[in-house]
Amino acid sequence: MLSYSFMQNAIIVSIFISILCPCIGIFLVLRRYSMIGDTLSHASLAGITISLLFQQSPILGAFIFTSICGALIEFLRNYFKKYTDLILSIVLSLSVGTAITLISSGKLHANADSFMFGSILTVTRADMYMVVVLSLLSVLTLVFLYHPLIYIAYDEETAKIAGVKVKLINYIFSILVACAIAVSIRIVGVLVLSSMIALPVATALQLGKGFRFTFLFSIFFSVIDIMSGLFLSYFLNVAPGGFTALVSVFVLLIVLIVKRIAMQIHAKTKE
Amino acid sequence: MSYFFPDDIVKNEKKERDGIIMIEANDLSFSYTGLRPFVLDQVNFHMDDGAYISVVGDNGCGKSTLMKLILQLQKPTQGSITCKAKRIGYVPQKAEFSNEGFPITVYEMLYSYQRLLKIKDKKVLLEKLNLVGMSDFSNALMDTLSGGQAQKVRIARALIGEPDLLVLDEPSTGVDLGSQIEIYAILKKLNEEKHMTIISVEHNLKAAVDNSTIIYHLSTGHGHFCTPQQFAKEYLDIVGKGSENVKL
Repeated sequence: MLSYSFMQNAIIVSIFISILCPCIGIFLVLRRYSMIGDTLSHASLAGITISLLFQQSPILGAFIFTSICGALIEFLRNYFKKYTDLILSIVLSLSVGTAITLISSGKLHANADSFMFGSILTVTRADMYMVVVLSLLSVLTLVFLYHPLIYIAYDEETAKIAGVKVKLINYIFSILVACAIAVSIRIVGVLVLSSMIALPVATALQLGKGFRFTFLFSIFFSVIDIMSGLFLSYFLNVAPGGFTALVSVFVLLIVLIVKRIAMQIHAKTKE
Repeated sequence: MSYFFPDDIVKNEKKERDGIIMIEANDLSFSYTGLRPFVLDQVNFHMDDGAYISVVGDNGCGKSTLMKLILQLQKPTQGSITCKAKRIGYVPQKAEFSNEGFPITVYEMLYSYQRLLKIKDKKVLLEKLNLVGMSDFSNALMDTLSGGQAQKVRIARALIGEPDLLVLDEPSTGVDLGSQIEIYAILKKLNEEKHMTIISVEHNLKAAVDNSTIIYHLSTGHGHFCTPQQFAKEYLDIVGKGSENVKL
């Protein structure tokens, strides 16, 4: 299996996805913005279809269009302060509308299906290089903005008073979300991409520890989810996106069950 | 509980700083829509450096709005407000602090904050935690602290970076009586010993009268300063008038 070049590409891309997605996801989840991940992953489909129309790199197309949509969400937040969920509907309408119109036009130079469900076979060497570059840039930016991002998520007002440029960082963060989505679409697919952003974080949150611990365990669960999803989908001959989503739900369930048993044992030993 | 402040302040400092204006408002008006009616209407005042000012008034009178204007979280609709503080420490209201379930320890919360202020020395946060009597809780999750403990940690956070102005939004909301006494003792000491200017938006009128050097009483978009004693009398007059109208 590992001798196939497509599988080597898929494994390298998966490693980067499994690190990048929870790094972005933890800030989205803690800001109660996990649905933005869902909206932007659907928005990426429009970017893919536009790039297929002009015979350009789908990953680059997804990254550019998703960045624009992320910035649009930030911009519209000023106009819909009390109805932020409406912003997601607006962006979703724009992007899915664009994607469906282009797909149904029959003018695309390739099939967009693999991007919906994820595919191991379609990861090219060029895709892999782009994923590596985008991921490294994202992780470096995250390292640089680590403390401001924690504070914007935890207490935005105090962050502003401490001199954090909240608006600018929010725009940069939306580009990072776009990056995470763009690098993930080949393997995971558009439809279940948001689960890769939210579920490892949801699992790590069950451990009830501090930020650093939750952050590291989000990456740990993400690696388990994505890598086992990738290998098992290869043997079962199913789409990796859907199966990875199932694995991540399964891991979350196991953690919930173990947590409940541990709590019961703890309560009994206290008695 | 006693609180220790390092004796690094020149004794005459307070005298020298008396009369220096920390915050000044000129014809300050504000409304959230930009149109009349204004929440604050043509307000003029100056708040002195080194004072402990409690801002009091009924719900919706503009206390929190005034605080946001001081913190520059809002811009005046008309007029101006200037704050000469080099660094502001802010203690938010507990009710507005809606980030329940956020996985962050006391240490992480303070360390990230000091990194925002570009302070790397970890001793700084430990010193501030010690100052508010919370040094034993550095590894506790913020979410597991009581209202009073969490408020003391937020005060410790606000003190990082040695602010010359401390702004608090209803510091006793959701805090038990014992912790309230401790919190106000800390604030009073900061004001008296470190000569820190304190502006506290207060619902707790007793705490306002007991601790402030001056009270700013806001009502229907306008405000006036009064001494704690004058305010106590004003308040009793209002309550007295109310009780006369009650028919038993």
